[in-house]
Amino acid sequence: MSLRVAQAATRIRPLAFRLPLQRRGYADPVSDKIKLTLALPHQSIYKSTDVVQVNIPAESGEMGVLANHVPSIEQLKPGLVEIIEESGGSKQFFLSGGFAIVQPGSQLSINAVEGFPLEDFSSDAVRSQITEAQKIAGGSGSEQDIAEAKIELEVLEGLQASLK
Amino acid sequence: MAFAWKASGLTYNRYLAVAARVVRRSLKEGERLKAERRGEMELKFAKWENGKQGENKSLAQANASSMAEGAGHGQGQ
Repeated sequence: MSLRVAQAATRIRPLAFRLPLQRRGYADPVSDKIKLTLALPHQSIYKSTDVVQVNIPAESGEMGVLANHVPSIEQLKPGLVEIIEESGGSKQFFLSGGFAIVQPGSQLSINAVEGFPLEDFSSDAVRSQITEAQKIAGGSGSEQDIAEAKIELEVLEGLQASLK
Repeated sequence: MAFAWKASGLTYNRYLAVAARVVRRSLKEGERLKAERRGEMELKFAKWENGKQGENKSLAQANASSMAEGAGHGQGQ
């Protein structure tokens, strides 16, 4: 009985040792693509799609994410996300703010409330809203109304700069 | 990181809602009409006490007043 236990122990041990070591030999190919998931509450624009690079407007500054990026969580400013696809072409979406999460294994998940390609925006609508928001921000409304107008201004100015 | 909206009592949730609302309003006509329906929220709540339902209140209004109370403390809710 005790012998069998000892045998089982020796058999299990090497396996447990080997697991955490994820060795890579010379011949193993390394994927240079990053799996991108870009999800809105009502739609997934990308679903674990292989792309080359993603540029995101993080609160800590603009950053480009390539394959094998160090895992991190970034809060996004309302701004432009640029995706460089496998074919070499690039796509741009304006996101209203959210989070980007880089996971181990070259996975990137971006979550936002709203996101649209630039051609869906109307620069006239942006311009008229800027004047409106400026009026509220400089007016005598409640502290919260002014704060909301300032958020709107920041988003609209970013949008206007992206549309040019 | 210090955010100006936080000092005014706004929550991150409210900040995201405001940013999303302004993005929806900036769309071209067709897309805008479709998208703006997503921004509507008409939740109501009531507090039950001693087996009786209290007054029906709008969640948006209750949130706004709690954010006004939280102003200056750098926190809402």
